[in-house]
Amino acid sequence: MSGDIRLEELTKIYGDVLAVDAIDLHIPPGEFFTMLGPSGCGKTSTLRLIAGFERPDGGAVILDGLDVSRTPPHKRNVNTVFQSYALFPHRTVEQNVAFGLRYKRVGGDEARRRVADAMELVRLGGMADRRPGQLSGGQQQRVALARALVLEPPVLLLDEPLGALDARLRVDLQVELKRIQEQLAVTFVYVTHDQDEALTMSDRVAVMREGRIEQCATPQELYEEPATAFVANFLGAANLIPVASQPGVRGTELALGSFRLRCEAEGAPHGEAVAMIRPEYVRLEPHGAEGENRLPGMVEEVVYLGFHQDVRVRLATGALVRADVPNDGEAPEYQQGDAVAVHLRARNLRVLAGDGERAVQDAQAAAAPEPAGTA
Amino acid sequence: MTTTAAPTTSRAPARTGRLRLRRDPWGHPRGLAIVTWIYILWSLAPVLLAIRFAFNEGRSRSAAQGWSLRWFWQDPTLSVFHDPTLRSALEQSLKLAGLAMLIATPLGVGLALGLQRWRGRGSGTTNRLTLLPLVTPELVFAVGLFLLFTTAFSFIGLGTTAQVIGHVTFSVSFVVVIVRGRLQTIGGDIEEAAADLGAPPWEVVRRVLLPLLLPAIAASLLIVFALSIDDFVVSQYLASGADTTTVPMRIYAQARAAPTPALNALATLMLAATLLALALAYAVFRVLTRGERGGRSALGQLASLEATIDAGGTK
Amino acid sequence: MASRRIWRTLAAPGLLWLIAFFLVAFYAVVAVGLGNVTTLFEPVPHWNPLDWNVGYLWQAVQDVVPGGVTWPVVVRTVLYIAVAMALSLLIGYPVAYYAARYAGRSSGIVLVLLVLPFWISYIMRMFAWTNLLAPDGYASKALNALSIDSLFGALGLMDGSDWLGGQPITVILALVYGYVPFFILPLYASLDRLDHRLIEASRDLGASPAESFRRVILPLSWPGILAGMVLIALPMFGDYFTQDLMSGSPNTNMIGNAINGYVQGGPDKSLGAALTILLSLFLLVFMGFYLRSLRREQRGTA
Repeated sequence: MSGDIRLEELTKIYGDVLAVDAIDLHIPPGEFFTMLGPSGCGKTSTLRLIAGFERPDGGAVILDGLDVSRTPPHKRNVNTVFQSYALFPHRTVEQNVAFGLRYKRVGGDEARRRVADAMELVRLGGMADRRPGQLSGGQQQRVALARALVLEPPVLLLDEPLGALDARLRVDLQVELKRIQEQLAVTFVYVTHDQDEALTMSDRVAVMREGRIEQCATPQELYEEPATAFVANFLGAANLIPVASQPGVRGTELALGSFRLRCEAEGAPHGEAVAMIRPEYVRLEPHGAEGENRLPGMVEEVVYLGFHQDVRVRLATGALVRADVPNDGEAPEYQQGDAVAVHLRARNLRVLAGDGERAVQDAQAAAAPEPAGTA
Repeated sequence: MTTTAAPTTSRAPARTGRLRLRRDPWGHPRGLAIVTWIYILWSLAPVLLAIRFAFNEGRSRSAAQGWSLRWFWQDPTLSVFHDPTLRSALEQSLKLAGLAMLIATPLGVGLALGLQRWRGRGSGTTNRLTLLPLVTPELVFAVGLFLLFTTAFSFIGLGTTAQVIGHVTFSVSFVVVIVRGRLQTIGGDIEEAAADLGAPPWEVVRRVLLPLLLPAIAASLLIVFALSIDDFVVSQYLASGADTTTVPMRIYAQARAAPTPALNALATLMLAATLLALALAYAVFRVLTRGERGGRSALGQLASLEATIDAGGTK
Repeated sequence: MASRRIWRTLAAPGLLWLIAFFLVAFYAVVAVGLGNVTTLFEPVPHWNPLDWNVGYLWQAVQDVVPGGVTWPVVVRTVLYIAVAMALSLLIGYPVAYYAARYAGRSSGIVLVLLVLPFWISYIMRMFAWTNLLAPDGYASKALNALSIDSLFGALGLMDGSDWLGGQPITVILALVYGYVPFFILPLYASLDRLDHRLIEASRDLGASPAESFRRVILPLSWPGILAGMVLIALPMFGDYFTQDLMSGSPNTNMIGNAINGYVQGGPDKSLGAALTILLSLFLLVFMGFYLRSLRREQRGTA
């Protein structure tokens, strides 16, 4: 019993909505795996399919080599932590945590010991006789966690467990969850729409959209090498510029209007594509600077953010580029109307296929200066 | 939160002077208040008077005459306690109410639980069937039952059994509504959590749902009791003779004759039983759900503060 | 969840009970109304639709159309109910409005007092009036002292001074008394849900209180008013005991009395059943109208 999860062409339809679209996934034992995406992307549906609260319309859920697609949840070796905690209000904390032990045939002293250990683990000692109604949100969350972990499942599913907590508490609990997961080496399958949460805690993240997985990789890969414009946009800010791409000398050649850019990566998609570069990699140089990958532009708006500036530059081609400029004393303070040269370093450019259209519009909208007069 | 009269109202002529509405547009319309309280008085005063007459010293049912309990039990032949027709009516009403509540409640709880989770074929129809009795005119229903028990089900026939069956049938819908409301409050997550932790469906019901439904079950019992006591049409149609007469039937039969205030006493007792049942239902419900409202006493708050410090300051 | 059986098992007893004693009861009315009789005039239900005999149904139809034996009763019933509904609206709307919008601090008490009549047996509430309207009762004496009896007499609503002696006005007022609480409560619920900001906006835009009421509040109240009206009309059409208690004279018989007379009283249970069928159909149509107008309202205000 190691906690190996395999999803094969898993499909779920609600009415006429395709919630989960033939997903293939393999989560090895002991991994902290997160499903990330906007609401309606299918991440919670997938989780519920793994837990057994829904039956798949197609495909299979395989736990440790066994096809459990038709197995009811009480027979699966998987436990869930709910977003609403779902604690039993008529039972004390101790009774809540001990609830499932009866089905593992654990009773008496052994049960008491395990309950105490679980409560230690989540740092909830001393609350044994309270009722859920008397606990704070954070405490209730810990009880829900202890209640699941006391059963020593190989797999733990967590459905946006920190969603209802305030920011400070959330950060504290994120650290706790990671610690517990590493300590117990349990496979965690975590669902969230918060990209910071996903990037902080996970070994691997699957970015989901409309029932499908856009990209499944480590947080670093997702951030540095997004596969599609959607992923690029979802994790952090991204400049997305439609270009025409073709193989070139030393990498890929990108055509933007009458300008030519070089991207270092090879094997990039060809034809109509989307160039992506993160704002922190956009260099602003004095107007007229020479060299490859430099485009003339004019500063349209500057947002002062304390230790950095968010400078929005309109290129001669019409595209809007955001540059993140640190206020380290060396960079000039940009002003609206300044003429600059925008340097998109070949090393930091990426070429993406993917749903260029919508993601590009989203990125451009996010970058556009706010019309005068609105709040 | 009253504001001073806005400029617009200084224009308004005093055509509503008759009702003497205050000029303040956001204020309290005294006219409506008066109407409402007059209505409430009109609505309840007759009943209060009827109760008053039950305590009459004399025989009048239309004028107050002293104070006495004679019509309840003191009068050796005419009081409720001693007059066989009145007493048996009271007993029959209580008997029917007791049986109805014990049968209707489990049926209704089962229906409510089943309907909540039933996602297969027939669930929509069953749902509608359950709510149908709530919109059916009593006469139609009573006629139907009467004909049923005199033809196809004549092996049951009319009488106490038929009356109980009738009461249960129209009460089940109420139980379903009450229990369903409680199930909504409980929420579906809790059931899933129990299953997730290893409980097979029957254990989910036994260990989690039923304990949490206890307030609704208690309330249902008492409300079915109250509904049954007040029922008239169904009871009358399914009665089979003098000993299956209920209190409302007895009142109906004797109201226009020249009875004594004993009839008022009987009616008062019936009302008292109903109101007692309702008050109990409310109290029991509040008491049983107290733990969930999570109120913390000062002691409780102190204890939790202590625990927080122990836990190292993390909340 | 894989094991759905438990839920069906839990619901089964209740479901079977409702089928056996509710649905089948309805069907019994149909089977008897469309059935036949023995030589002793006891009903013989025809359970099989192929055996249905429209004799009694046809007789019932003939009775309730103009010229038929029961036609006057039908007219009278509709008249009484219409007047009772109008009076209920007149009395009930202000009360519901006040309770919904203004009761404020005392809203808990007001609500309890408005709900109380639900739990007092209808028979007892009528009985209370028999005490008061008896010739020597407080109400009788007061009303007659104020010459209300002659006033109504002049209007043709009353004959003599005995309020309990077969007077239409008594029956109508008793119906109002009996059912107006059932009108007020749904109306209250509906008015309570009205967005008060709409009213404030209307005042803010310069409308006087009367105009605000007429142009904003009243139109928004319609769904609640309709719901309340339907909710009291249905049981009123089946009412027979109000008349029995407050009048006792066949002059004021309602359709409920006719049915009651046939089924419980005499040798014509089959005719009674047939009349019940007609009444149910009428009420269904009535409900249908209401539901359709409700849907139109919802679409209109969407």
